[in-house]
Amino acid sequence: MSRSIILGHYLPGNSVIHQMNPRIKVLVLIIILTMLFAFKSIPGLLAMLLAILLLFAAARIPFRYLLKGLRPILYIALFALIIFLFFTKGGVVLVRLGSVTVESDGLEEGLFVIIRLVTLVLFSLLLTLTTTPLSLTHGLGYFLKPLGRIGLPAEEVVMIMAIALRFIPTLIEESQRLMRAQVSRGADFESGSVFRKAKNLAPLIVPLFVSAFRRADELALAMEARGYRLGAKRTRLYEDLIKMQDWFVLLTALLLLAAVLYTNI
Amino acid sequence: MAVLKAETIIEAKALYYSYAGEGEDSSPALNGVDLKVDQGEYLALLGANGSGKTTLLKLLNALLMPSQGEVLVKGISTVEAQKLELVRQACGMIFQNPDNQIVATTVEEDIAFGLENLALPSQEIRRRVDAVAGRLGLTHLLQHPPHLLSGGEKQRTAIAGILAMQPACILMDEPTAMLDPFGRFEVLKTVKDLNKAESLAVVHVTHNPAEAVEADRIVVLERGRIVADGKPEEILTDLKLLHKLGLQGTVAAELADLLRQEGLILPAAIMRNQELVESLCLSEQIS
Amino acid sequence: MFIGTDKLTHTYMPGTPFASAALKSISFSLGRGSFTLLIGPSGSGKTTLIQHLNGLLKPTSGKVYFDGQSIGPDKSALLSVRRRIGLLFQMPEDQFFSETVFDEIAYAPRNLGLAENEIEESVIKAVERVGLRPKNLLGRHPFQLSAGQKRRVAFAAVLSIEPEVLILDEPAAGLDPSGKLMLFDLLSRLNRTEKITILVSTHHLDEIAALADNLLVLNGGRLEMAGKAREILARRAELQDLGLALPQVTEIMDELAARGLPVSTDIYSLSAASKEIIRLKRADQG
Repeated sequence: MSRSIILGHYLPGNSVIHQMNPRIKVLVLIIILTMLFAFKSIPGLLAMLLAILLLFAAARIPFRYLLKGLRPILYIALFALIIFLFFTKGGVVLVRLGSVTVESDGLEEGLFVIIRLVTLVLFSLLLTLTTTPLSLTHGLGYFLKPLGRIGLPAEEVVMIMAIALRFIPTLIEESQRLMRAQVSRGADFESGSVFRKAKNLAPLIVPLFVSAFRRADELALAMEARGYRLGAKRTRLYEDLIKMQDWFVLLTALLLLAAVLYTNI
Repeated sequence: MAVLKAETIIEAKALYYSYAGEGEDSSPALNGVDLKVDQGEYLALLGANGSGKTTLLKLLNALLMPSQGEVLVKGISTVEAQKLELVRQACGMIFQNPDNQIVATTVEEDIAFGLENLALPSQEIRRRVDAVAGRLGLTHLLQHPPHLLSGGEKQRTAIAGILAMQPACILMDEPTAMLDPFGRFEVLKTVKDLNKAESLAVVHVTHNPAEAVEADRIVVLERGRIVADGKPEEILTDLKLLHKLGLQGTVAAELADLLRQEGLILPAAIMRNQELVESLCLSEQIS
Repeated sequence: MFIGTDKLTHTYMPGTPFASAALKSISFSLGRGSFTLLIGPSGSGKTTLIQHLNGLLKPTSGKVYFDGQSIGPDKSALLSVRRRIGLLFQMPEDQFFSETVFDEIAYAPRNLGLAENEIEESVIKAVERVGLRPKNLLGRHPFQLSAGQKRRVAFAAVLSIEPEVLILDEPAAGLDPSGKLMLFDLLSRLNRTEKITILVSTHHLDEIAALADNLLVLNGGRLEMAGKAREILARRAELQDLGLALPQVTEIMDELAARGLPVSTDIYSLSAASKEIIRLKRADQG
């Protein structure tokens, strides 16, 4: 029995953002990340934070996914805030506890860093929530094409990554099954030193490797049987065309970046 | 009313195949095989493990090249490198492990895989994928990833992928070996239906006699040679031959044989349950 | 009860929107030395149930019992359970990792605390029990064996701990007809002669139904039917409703009976069918 495994946080949907061409999404993300690091003060960052929240709404993503996505950086953010609060001095003294002070510059810089971090994470999260890993792979693969000139087979690299993505859930299930089988034979994968644990892993690693090789062999044969040939021209079911609105979004992002850099907000 | 002679889809002539590096064991995997498969024919290939049946299958769709002899698919020799695409399109193959033949992350992308390899335009691919999915009852699964499919659904996805390429023949290497009874039933029914409705030739490798009962013809392999070629009622009731090769007949055939050994007189060609029941219901004498 | 469960329930991902009940309040009890078949459609929970019986999975609620004690999470207790209950998964040869057949078969005994000098004896005995000859086999690399040999070695790898209970998930999957017959023969011997308690989970009843004392029928996580094999198998309509196929010979006998022939339909093997039909024909004559 398999469980639905949400790979890479993708949440199915039909919004404008879901339908954007993945190449454009990647480019826009890079532009926005650049923009975030170009801002010099909080108001600009707050505007971006507001923007990303609106975009999440436009993508019809439930709020709890936002919170879930921010969980990993919660501690880092808190830690950073504390460092800034207590170690960055300047401006008005806000709190005094004996000889320890918290001053307004510390608060301001702390907030600046945190808001930037949160906004950054949210923009990246929006990308992975609205783009399937496979589309992302194809999108990124497009940018690898120029490397074909120095011998990197971009198409094949994309195919490899796509196949890897396809097999991840299968491999996870297989390794779970295998682990249970070996545990039934008395295997212990938990206790002992690092060295001991590594040694005990052979009963997991060897069968998985053997199975992977066999799988690769059979898959290659099946692909060949269906006419796959290295280097041959291939079309795609989903063409990932760039539409007018994609160009529009890209242009807007570039203009915003230019504006931010020029005005030095 | 003129009767059109069925076109020969596959022709294997004097086929020898030897796996490289077999060392002193020089017996080839295929040792002189002649075979013809006509349009719309359902051919079952029976044989024990090591009899060469899988090797033969792979030679028929150019996954392997003959050491000697030749294979013609729709008149094209499989060694003609430029025409390989045509051979692969005419002769599709389904494998035993349902998982290890699904390439894509969703059913529809996997069905499209072969068509993408043929560099068909995107709209045509879409059209064919939808048509074939509808034909095989997979429309509701098109967006599903493979790990959420049952074994039977995976095999049907593989069949859909082949069907979308509009082949003349489908080769199957023990396609039901790893399926549960329901999956087996689904797959066999699907293939039988395609065979009858679309005149799709089928070459079905199996060692389960029950799957060969409905074939038009059975070919039996032993150590790289064809040792029998005939109708199911001839082959599946020849228990002496089957047992010699390490195979079994159908349950009805085996039971009939046991009864004959005890002196019961029964018609020779019993392979289906119904046939045995009918014979037993008639008055029989014990010698 | 030697091995069994009491209101065993297992829910995957409880408390999440993905929660699904794989087992719903299952209770059954198997006696020592019994031979039980576990059947049910795909997805009915057979594999989940099996994995509870040797403590691989923890019940969401309810208990699993072995030899008078409930199986708990305590590590050393689990180890002793696995010392006495051998579990053979489907396609067990996929677990191979050792360099020699000997090491592969010795893996479980070594993990479970058998002394090294006892292990050699157990390994040799296990190999002989599965019908192979130790002399040339033990030093070989498991990956070099034929398919049939691999399956037997995998079997030996479970027998080497000399379990009191053997639980097998589709043990005949992928075997050719003669391999199947040899397997069933082995299981029968282990059960009758060595009094090993056996539980086989399978979709295919041909030839194995005749060996069973008990039958457990799962459907949608529930234990629909449980009891003596012959009694349950006689409930043809219910089994058919669950989409479960009877042995082919049984279908033949049923059809003969439906045509009015006075044959017993409590028949689940070729030999029994043959005997019954001959008996009928001789009775006709005499």
